[in-house]
Amino acid sequence: MRRPPRDPNLKVPVFKNIIYALKLVWQNDKRLLIGYMINGFSANIFMLYIQNILFLKVLLGILDKGSSFESYLRTLVVFLVLSVSLMGVSCFTSYIVSASTKNVLKKLNNRIFSKAITLDVECYENPEFYDKYQRATNVLAWSYYDFVCSCVSNIVSAIVSLALVIGTVTAINPVYLLFLAPVFLVFIIESFKSKQVYKRDLEMTTNNRIKAYTQRTVFLKDFSKDMRTSNIFSVLMQRFKAAIDSNVEILRKYGLKLFIFSTVSSLFSEFIPIIGTYAYAAYQFVYTNTLTVSGFSVVLSSINAVRESTMNIARNFDMLVGSALYFQNLRDFFEYEPKITSGDKMPEKFESLEFRNVTFRYPSAEKNTLENISFKIDKGETFALVGVNGAGKSTLIKLLLRFYDVTNGEILYNGINIKEYNLDAYRNSFGAVFQDYRNFAISVYENVVCHECSDEEKAIAEKALRQSGIWKKIASLPKGADTVLTREFDKNGIGLSGGENQKVSAARLFAKDFEFAVLDEPSSALDPIAEYKMYENLIEVTKNKTVLYISHRLSSAVLSDKIIVIGGGRVLEEGSHSELMAKDGKYKEMFTLQASSYNNEKEETEND
Amino acid sequence: MTKTKERQHHSTFSNIFYFIGLLFKISPTLVIGEFIMGILTTLPTRLISVIGLKYIVDVVESGENLENIFYAVVLIAVILVGSKLFAWIFQEFFWNMAKEKVYYGLNKILYEKAKQLDLESYDDPEFYNSFILTIESSSDNITNLLGLVRNYVGNLISFFTIAGVMLTIDPVCLLIILTFIGIFLPLSRKRGALQMARRRDNTEYHRRSDYFQRIFYLQDYAKEVRINDIHPLLIERYNDAADDVIANQKRYHKKISAVAFLQDAGIQDLGFMFALPLYLGYCVLVKESLGAGDFVAAFNGAYSIAASINFLTVWAVAIFSERGKMIEKYREFLKSDFKIKDGEKVAPCGKPEEIRIENLSFTYPGNDKPTLKNINLTIKPYEKIALVGYNGAGKTTLTNLMLRLYDVSGGSISIGAEDIRNVTAKSHRDRFSAVFQDFQLFACSAGENVALDEKFDEEKVKTALKNSGFEKDLKKGVFTELLREFDDEGRMLSGGESQKVAIARAFYKNCPYIILDEPSANLDPIAEYNLNQAMIEAAEQKTVIFISHRLSTTVNADRIYVMENGEIIESGSHEELMKMNGTYAYMFNLQAEKYKDNK
Repeated sequence: MRRPPRDPNLKVPVFKNIIYALKLVWQNDKRLLIGYMINGFSANIFMLYIQNILFLKVLLGILDKGSSFESYLRTLVVFLVLSVSLMGVSCFTSYIVSASTKNVLKKLNNRIFSKAITLDVECYENPEFYDKYQRATNVLAWSYYDFVCSCVSNIVSAIVSLALVIGTVTAINPVYLLFLAPVFLVFIIESFKSKQVYKRDLEMTTNNRIKAYTQRTVFLKDFSKDMRTSNIFSVLMQRFKAAIDSNVEILRKYGLKLFIFSTVSSLFSEFIPIIGTYAYAAYQFVYTNTLTVSGFSVVLSSINAVRESTMNIARNFDMLVGSALYFQNLRDFFEYEPKITSGDKMPEKFESLEFRNVTFRYPSAEKNTLENISFKIDKGETFALVGVNGAGKSTLIKLLLRFYDVTNGEILYNGINIKEYNLDAYRNSFGAVFQDYRNFAISVYENVVCHECSDEEKAIAEKALRQSGIWKKIASLPKGADTVLTREFDKNGIGLSGGENQKVSAARLFAKDFEFAVLDEPSSALDPIAEYKMYENLIEVTKNKTVLYISHRLSSAVLSDKIIVIGGGRVLEEGSHSELMAKDGKYKEMFTLQASSYNNEKEETEND
Repeated sequence: MTKTKERQHHSTFSNIFYFIGLLFKISPTLVIGEFIMGILTTLPTRLISVIGLKYIVDVVESGENLENIFYAVVLIAVILVGSKLFAWIFQEFFWNMAKEKVYYGLNKILYEKAKQLDLESYDDPEFYNSFILTIESSSDNITNLLGLVRNYVGNLISFFTIAGVMLTIDPVCLLIILTFIGIFLPLSRKRGALQMARRRDNTEYHRRSDYFQRIFYLQDYAKEVRINDIHPLLIERYNDAADDVIANQKRYHKKISAVAFLQDAGIQDLGFMFALPLYLGYCVLVKESLGAGDFVAAFNGAYSIAASINFLTVWAVAIFSERGKMIEKYREFLKSDFKIKDGEKVAPCGKPEEIRIENLSFTYPGNDKPTLKNINLTIKPYEKIALVGYNGAGKTTLTNLMLRLYDVSGGSISIGAEDIRNVTAKSHRDRFSAVFQDFQLFACSAGENVALDEKFDEEKVKTALKNSGFEKDLKKGVFTELLREFDDEGRMLSGGESQKVAIARAFYKNCPYIILDEPSANLDPIAEYNLNQAMIEAAEQKTVIFISHRLSTTVNADRIYVMENGEIIESGSHEELMKMNGTYAYMFNLQAEKYKDNK
């Protein structure tokens, strides 16, 4: 659990969000909130009031009156029974709370997961949304939901105990309230102070990032080689030193301000109450003789109780304000309506796919990434997308899979706009291997078929793994394809290399009953022979199926039925390999460049 | 690998004193200040609540010299205000800044050492984990130890003072307090052990649940999860792990709560709320040996002593032993020895000389099988050498050995007439420029990224970038900061552009040898072609060794070495190897096939 950082620049309604947070917890597990309430009362009212003040007051009262030892003993027994039973209750609630906090975590996570999969991919790529989403998930990752319960129970019980203490002091002599009152000013002073601290820390952010970065570059293996073969270490150390110096300057700059705030805070919360109480008590003792020894001790203990309760309320309130933002973000997340909405048509068997005058601009971008793209793919065709880095190839695939919707124009699947189809069913009709493929820390079989699998499905998975050329390696493992991928949390798991991982990812495609395959640089991590085999298998598996793929290596484009060359977001050329070679355009230029070295003929290539 | 039991070479206290000594060396005033703070933050308030109170009550009870109360109040006021003011002055004008400086001082020692670490240390998970822990904990070590010094001193002194006061009131009171603490406090050990076991088990389960949680939280998996219907399985796995966490919580907390109840009810309820007041009441009411002032003082003193003992025995010991382990790691790390030892000579950095590798073999530490064996090759000055082969054939390892990032297990590498082990590692590496497959950009300016030095020649950097085909406009030219690591205005670069910056390093550095590991992996065909052309021109006066998957780039090499399973299986020029019709020719034809067919 970590304290939520408070950022005064991001203001959200506190009360509304805290109520929302409490409701959220209450709906998922009532025991958590009740448990915290009981614990708060036990800590604040029992410890602070009954044990430290009431107990002393009662005992001293008996002693003052000079009552019998018997009645004194009886009082002690009553308090003992009371305190032991309260202790029992509080220990039992701690036990309940410890389990139910994890239960709430689980339930809330399930809610987040089911919402997360409906999120538009755009959300992940939009830094502002993603920031908020990260904060929303921090409610769980950093246990803020738990935090809020504990803060609220602390505040409520501290207020009650404060009232009890004030009542006791008033009964002794209301004048003492005068010395206690300044304690409440702490709220204001502390809030000023924390604003200064925040401002100071904000000024140090960059420096602290440099400190963390220097540390990382030193211990991460990624940087180790460059660090040893060059002089970059001294560059980094110099920056590190500069960051420290600048931090010292900033700290110095704020020193006086913070010193004043701290001193004023001590003045109101300690100097005035403590010294004032002693002084007035002395006055009473010496001149008016209206104060008893027991009254004096109780008033002194009360100062402490009032200070602690007040600080407790201030501190907890501050944390509530900090966490409000996170709950606002969580709420926004739960209430987010995906822009990519599902239609109700179920996709039929694939016949054709058409991009018609498709234009696309990323949200908040200044330029169109794709401009007026039109082409058509028919059943059984193999289609290659070719172009330099950044031409818009991957974007085109994102549109096809409806990770984004087009800005203008339309994409038709079997002649019907893809927006009319059921989203999950539509996406599921594609098999895809992405450039940034991912595998999961589940068994190899499950990685391939995407759910827990029957023996029948295992056979399918095995075939797919054979086709992608990784079966031999997998079969050699002690647990075969039941082995869990990565050593993330299973010591017997297997860590695969980049190329091997890509093969498992490709097997997922092979095992899927897809109509249309989308391959985004599926062989980037492979060596030439593995690449060759991968392509052979892809051709084999995708026989009679429709394939759209992106590759830098034009040798693979040769085999496709149609090639589309994209440049600057537009279709530059379109046609089969031989047609494009006849055209003398961009494709020919690129192909000739790559081929020249293989053909070992010194060709004149014009670069324009 | 044999599992070595964690051994501690130094006692906890020796480690703590070692570290405090280190802190003292960097900032003596900070350590002394902490001592004073320790005394000032605990003692005054506790003294006031026990002795001050007792004195006033005693005076009131006796009814004589009442005006002395005023002197007492003035004294209390002076102590209170004085100690607090000192604390704030120390905190805001000194402590914060001194802590930054100490952080710098300690980390500098650490980083300087880490920089010289053998690369193989990174491959040893046990060493590496403790290395990371050492570095990451250094800031906590400082804060924790300073706090510990402060609180330890404070509690120790206030314990003896208050105990002394109690003795003068009635030794039996002190006896009662110490008896109850003595009986029930040892339960803390049990409580701590249970909590540690719970945390340990929870980490295990949490690692699983956190992993599945991450899949849904992070962007990385978004596409994969949407296109494959895999989320029900992942959610199920998450729930299994979450259930394990809940069960574990219940299992341990049942015991933890029971122990906590026993301990707290024992000390606080039975001891301080019953036994002690019972005795005090007896003394006041029946024996009449104590007054009300003694009663209040003993009552308050009991809590003060309990707090001190609790800190000194439970908290401090726990923190001591935890920090002791961390400091042990720190100490061991600074003492650790390197395998790569500097030779005595300084390597010249002039014209390229002959590189000769003889009977080289290499086995990664902890591996049974050698990664390289029987490597023999000679690279003449100005030659362009290509290393090709399957993934995992040992190409990168060979270049790592040339750079002396590792030392050979057998055989030798020499440049000119000198074995590379006879020269200093720095001077040896200085004559190379290496662009690694997993090159990194640094969060520094573009110029510093190319020069890899804080001083750089602006024009030379520009030329190097031009040669590597880097064409992006940079706002502040070579002074533009790269990456957004800590500059939100920093320039982000794509994979291809980053690679061009990395390659520019080879163009920039004034050195006789260049090593390029898959220099064109992220580049599109046109950029790759341009790069090859530029390299041929710029590296005319240098020896170049490069690794490539794309055999089109190897055609022009003076000699090609084909590696398989750690051995060189073929070598020669492109023409010779094609004639040989071996592995190289097979690989080349596979790649060239499509291009040729369609010519």
